[in-house]
Amino acid sequence: MKRHAVAVSNYITAFIIIISLNFLLPRLMPGNPLQAIYGEEALIAMTPELKAELISRFGLDKSLCEQFFNYLMNLCQGDLGYSYYYNAPVFEVILGALPWTILLVGAALVLSTTLGAVLGVEAGWRRGRAGDKVLLAGLMVLNGFPDFFIGMLLLLIFGVMLNILPLSGAVSPYANLTGVALLWDIFKHLLLPLSALTLAGITGSFLLTRNTMIGVLRSPFVLTARAKGLSPAAIRYRHAGRNSLLPVVTRAGVMAGRMATGVLFVEMVFSYPGLGHLVNTALTARDYPVLQGVFLVITVSVLTINLFTDILYTRLDPRVSYAY
Amino acid sequence: MLEIHDLRVAYGNKNILNGIDLSIRQGETLAVIGESGVGKTTLGLCIAGLVQGKVSGQVLFQGMDLLKLSEQDLNKMRWNRFSLVLQNVENVLNPVMTIIKQVTEPIVEHGIRKKKYAVEKAVEVLSRAGVPSSRYEAYPHQLSGGERQRAMIAMALANDPEFIILDEPTASLDTLTRLEILKLLREVGRDRALLVITHDISAAAKLGDNIAVLYGGKLLEKGPAKEILTAPCHPYTRGLLRSYPNMTTVKDLQGIKGRLEIPQKGCCFYPRCTQAVDICREEHPPIARKGECYLACHRGGIVPLLQLKDINVNYGPVAAVKGANIKVYEGETMAMVGESGSGKSSLAYSIMGITKSFSGSIYLDGSKVKKRSKEFFRRVQMVFQNPAESISHRHNVLQAVREPLDIQNLGCDGERKEKVRRALDEVQLSSDDEFLSQYPYHLSGGEVQRVAVARALILKPAVIVADEPTSALDASVQAKVLKLLMELQQNRGLGILFITHDIALARKISDRITVMQAGEIVEEGPAERLITRPGHSYTRALLEAAPDMDFIEQEQNGVDLRESSLSSCSFLAKN
Ligand SMILES: Nc1ncnc2c1ncn2[C@@H]1O[C@H](COP(=O)(O)OP(=O)(O)OP(=O)(O)O)[C@@H](O)[C@H]1O
Ligand code: SF4
Ligand SMILES: [Mg+2]
Repeated sequence: MKRHAVAVSNYITAFIIIISLNFLLPRLMPGNPLQAIYGEEALIAMTPELKAELISRFGLDKSLCEQFFNYLMNLCQGDLGYSYYYNAPVFEVILGALPWTILLVGAALVLSTTLGAVLGVEAGWRRGRAGDKVLLAGLMVLNGFPDFFIGMLLLLIFGVMLNILPLSGAVSPYANLTGVALLWDIFKHLLLPLSALTLAGITGSFLLTRNTMIGVLRSPFVLTARAKGLSPAAIRYRHAGRNSLLPVVTRAGVMAGRMATGVLFVEMVFSYPGLGHLVNTALTARDYPVLQGVFLVITVSVLTINLFTDILYTRLDPRVSYAY
Repeated sequence: MLEIHDLRVAYGNKNILNGIDLSIRQGETLAVIGESGVGKTTLGLCIAGLVQGKVSGQVLFQGMDLLKLSEQDLNKMRWNRFSLVLQNVENVLNPVMTIIKQVTEPIVEHGIRKKKYAVEKAVEVLSRAGVPSSRYEAYPHQLSGGERQRAMIAMALANDPEFIILDEPTASLDTLTRLEILKLLREVGRDRALLVITHDISAAAKLGDNIAVLYGGKLLEKGPAKEILTAPCHPYTRGLLRSYPNMTTVKDLQGIKGRLEIPQKGCCFYPRCTQAVDICREEHPPIARKGECYLACHRGGIVPLLQLKDINVNYGPVAAVKGANIKVYEGETMAMVGESGSGKSSLAYSIMGITKSFSGSIYLDGSKVKKRSKEFFRRVQMVFQNPAESISHRHNVLQAVREPLDIQNLGCDGERKEKVRRALDEVQLSSDDEFLSQYPYHLSGGEVQRVAVARALILKPAVIVADEPTSALDASVQAKVLKLLMELQQNRGLGILFITHDIALARKISDRITVMQAGEIVEEGPAERLITRPGHSYTRALLEAAPDMDFIEQEQNGVDLRESSLSSCSFLAKN
C-alpha cells in the first residue's frame, strides 16, 4: 500500500512539473505569435487597435501568472485552447492526429520490446556462439543509425526502388475504402514507419535482455531447471527468460519517452498524419496552443506508460511488492 | 544401482575430481563428507551431467553410463530416475514462480500426468515433505530456509525417482528444523538410494549407511558409517571429526593444520598430514581395502608410534603392572587413568628404561626397542610428575633445556641456544638472557613445569610420556600447558601418553582412555565411549568421583525452595 502511495505521489509531482514547463516553454521562444499568424507584412500594415484586439483575444497581454491560471482552468475543462492556424479547437486538431501516433508508437513499442527481448534471450543463451555474434554485430550497426535515417532508407528501398509500399500518408487519399480493404490499406501505410521505429528501438531492449540473460543463466535456479530435465525452451523462456525480462519491462517506460521524439521524425519522413506531423506544422507556424497540447498529450501518455510498466513489473516479479 | 569408476572433472586446467570410485546399492544411503571446496557439489552435479568442465570416467546408473548419454536421453532420466536437491542457496528456486508450480512442472514436462493430476501429486509430495499448505502458493522468497529445504525435497520426490542426490540438505538450518529434515530424509531414504553430500558429520552419521571422505578430489576413506565415525583410519577423517562440535565426542576441538591446498603430485593431503613420509610427496596412495573400510594412505592410516606388549613390572614380590598392552597413535592422546598407586608411573618408567625390572616388549615406529639408544630418546621424551625429577637443581634454565641437545650432540653452541629460546617461546615462557640464567628454585611451580616441557620438546620427539605433568599446577596454568600440548599435537602429530588420576582432565584431552586398577588394565576404549558408557565398575567409580560443578545447594534446601515457590505461585493462590 505504502509503495503505491509513494508511486502515485511521484507521478503527481511529475505531472505538475510537466504542466508548468509545458506552459512556459513555448512562451519563452523568440518571435511574436501574431507575426507568425499573419505574416510580417500584414503585421506592419495592421492598425494598433486591431493588434491590441488580437492580443487581448489570445490573452497575450495578461501577466504570465494570469495566463497560467487561465491555462489551468481551461485544461480542467478539456479546453486546450484554440488554434489560430487551423482555426479549430486544439482538442479537435489533436484528436484527429492522435490515433495514428498511438497506433504507430504503440505497435512499435510492443514490437521492438518483444522482438528485442526474444532475440536477447536467444543470443544470451547462445552467448559467444555464431548466432549470438551475428545478432550482436547486426543490431549494433543498426543502433548507429538515427531512426529517421532508417526511415529514409526503408522509404527508398521499398517505396521508391521496389515500389511495393506507399510512400506517404496513413491511408490512400480519395479511395473511399471500407472494411478489410481499408485495414489492409492502413497496414500497408503503417508498415514502413513502423519498421523504422521498431528497428530503431530494438537494439536497446535486445542488449539489455541479452546482458541480463547472461547473468540469469548463471543463477542456481537455472541449474535446478536443468536438473529437472526440462526442455531447453522451457529453461530458456519459463525460467531464465522470464527473470531476464524484468529490467526490460522497466525500460519500456523509458523507451516510450524516447520513441515519442523518434516518432516526430519518422512521421515527417513518411508524412504520416500523426502528432509528429502536427508538431512540425505547428512549429513552423508558432502555433502555441497546438504545441502545448501535443506536448501535454505526449508527456501524459509517457507518464501513463511508465505507471503501467510499474504495475506490470510488480506482477512479473513477486519480490518487488515485498521489498518495499 | 550407481557405480562410479575413475571419475575425473576439470575446469580448465584446474582438476576438481581426480579419479573417484564409488558405489551405492539399492535403498542405500551414502554420505560424502569433506571440507568446503573439496569438490563435493561438483561430484553431485557431475552424476547428473550438470557440470560445465571436462569430465571423464564412468557413471553407471543401473548399468547405463550417464556420461555417454546424449543431452536428450539424459533429460529423460533426469528427475524421473534420479533427482537432485541442490544446495539451499538463495535463488535455488525460480524467484518468480510459486512453489506448487515449480513442483508440478517436472511432472507435466515429463508427460507423466496431465496438469490437473500433476497438481494433485505435487500437493501429495509437498505435504509429505511437511510444507505447510498455506505456503503452496507462496513464492520462494516468502519461505523460511527450512520450508525452502522441504519444498526442494518435495520437488525431488515429484517424479518418484529411485535415486536422489542431496547437496548440504542440513546446512544453515537451526537444530530443531535440522532434526526434522533429517527425520524426513531418513523416511525418504527408506525405499530409495540417496547420495548425501555434506560437511555436517552428524547428518552423515544419522543418514549414511556408508560414508566416503572426499579431499582434493579424491576419496581418502570410505566404509560403513559406524567404522568411519568411531575408528577413523585416515588422518584427514580424524581431523574432520575432531573439529566438528557435537554432543558425542568429549575431547576439546582440534583443527587440521594448514589450509586447503592441493599439491601437484603426491598424496593430496601431505601438506597437512603430520605423519607424511618421503613417498607421500611423490605419489598418491591407491585406495585399498583395510578391514571393513577402504583407505588411501601409504602408511595404512594413522600409525601406531609406541606399542607396549605384555608389560609386567615387578618390584620383588610386588607386581606393580600386570600384562599391560597399550598403543599410542600418531597425533593422538592416550590417557591412562587410575588411582594413586595403580602402577601408572611404573609403566612409564618401564617405557623410558628407568626401571629395569620389567618384562614384555616395546615397539617404537613398528620395530622392537632393544636398548634405549640416543635414537630412542630423540623420538620419545618424558615429562615427570615432579619437575625436580626432570631438572637438576644445579642447572639453570638454559642448561636444563639444552641438555638433551648436548647429549645428542646436535648443532653448535649458538644453534643450541637459539633452539632453547624457541622451545621456551613455545611453552610461553620468557626467552631473554635473564630468564635463561635463572635456577629452578627461583621459579614458580608452573614455570618449572613448563621448563620441563620445553626440555622434553626441544628434540621434537614423536611421543611424549607425560606422568601427571600438570598435577602440581593451578588450573589456569594447567590449562595453558595442556593447550600447548594439544596444539603441538595438531600441528606436529605429537603422540602423548598422558598419565593422570584425573578422569575429568583425561576426558578433555584424550582420544582414547585406558583405566588401570592395581596394576591391571581393566578397560580401554575411545574417550567418548568410556565416559558416556563405562563398562567396568571401577571406571564408573572414577567417573562418579570426578569433579563437576553441579552445586548441591538445592538438595539441602529442597523443601524450602519448593514451599516458597508454591506460595508465590499466583495460579495456586487463586484456586
Ligand atoms: N564452474 C566452475 N568453474 C571453475 N571452478 C569451479 C566451478 N565450480 C566449482 N569450481 C571450483 O571447484 C572446487 C570445488 O567446488 P565444489 O562446489 O564442488 O565444492 P564443495 O565441496 O561443494 O564446497 P562447499 O562445501 O562450500 O559447497 C572449488 O575450488 C570451486 O572454486
Ligand atoms: S601418511 Fe602419507 S599417504 Fe597417508 S595421509 Fe599422510 S601424506 Fe597421505
Ligand atoms: Mg557444495
